[in-house]
Amino acid sequence: MSTLTKILIVLLTISSIFLCGIVVTYVANADNYRQKYEDRETRIRALTETEEDAKTQLKEKTDEYSRQESILRSQITELKTEIAQKEDTVRTIEREKAGLLESVNSYASKVESANQTAQQQTQLFENAQAELEKVKAELTKKRKELNELTLSLTEKLAIIDDIRIKNRRLTEEKTELLSRLDRLSRPIGKEPVRPTPVTPERDIAKVATPLVRDIGLRGSVTDVDLKNSMAEISIGAVNGVKVGNTFHVTRGGRFICDILIIDVETEKAVGFLEKVQPQQQPRVGDRVSTNL
Amino acid sequence: MSPNGQGRRQKAAVPNNLYTVILAVALSVALATLAFVAYMCYSQYGTIFKIP
Repeated sequence: MSTLTKILIVLLTISSIFLCGIVVTYVANADNYRQKYEDRETRIRALTETEEDAKTQLKEKTDEYSRQESILRSQITELKTEIAQKEDTVRTIEREKAGLLESVNSYASKVESANQTAQQQTQLFENAQAELEKVKAELTKKRKELNELTLSLTEKLAIIDDIRIKNRRLTEEKTELLSRLDRLSRPIGKEPVRPTPVTPERDIAKVATPLVRDIGLRGSVTDVDLKNSMAEISIGAVNGVKVGNTFHVTRGGRFICDILIIDVETEKAVGFLEKVQPQQQPRVGDRVSTNL
Repeated sequence: MSPNGQGRRQKAAVPNNLYTVILAVALSVALATLAFVAYMCYSQYGTIFKIP
């Protein structure tokens, strides 16, 4: 055996041992890809199942969401309707509130005016009471004076009775004296003359002749101009109508209006309508007179 | 070549067994490695030569 063969044998052995060691080390430390594959497949299957479950849940959730969405939409619609109704109610309540506030204000003003009126009434009552006290005091005073006057009147009546008795006695004496004088003077052809008393007799008071009298003009309305509040009557200057006279217009005894004469002609006169009743307008043929 | 060895055939003999042992060791190591790799392949993949 040659030396080269020996060297090759040794090198072959060393290299084979080295390479076998490397291979053994590599194989011992190599990953178990089958196990990894199975693990990954298991994980993928689990993930697939999880995805299926998730899809199922997603579908259920989607359905639930759709159902909830429809329910919520219907509820939103109902709530919108209710909100609209509430807003209408709120507007109505606000209007009622405004009306009530206005009523409260008006009532407050009325109460205030009533308070003022009550205060005025109280003041008037106090004034009237004070006046009443004065009147009562004056009444008491007047009663006292009346009693005094009554007493004085009673005394004067007693004096008047005495005077009447004296007057009757004097009348009787006068009659006796006149009869005696008649018996004495008749034989000599004389008769007693009734004496005229020196003291003038007082006369009873009479109604004086009135200083004014009614004009007493009567006629009728011959023309009416309601637009200008003018009217024409059937009597004029020859009947005594003068500017400034006022004629009363009547119909069947009912007062219609007045006519103030502003222009007088011979047989007619024209004047303004006054105190015209809104229900009864003057018309042609109504009676006119200066005195009702 | 020996001068008197023309007529008879000289028996071949291993002059030294050391290198034979070394080769045997190398062969046994290679076989052991082969067996280990085959065992690992079979244990992990269930087969030796096929791709699972």
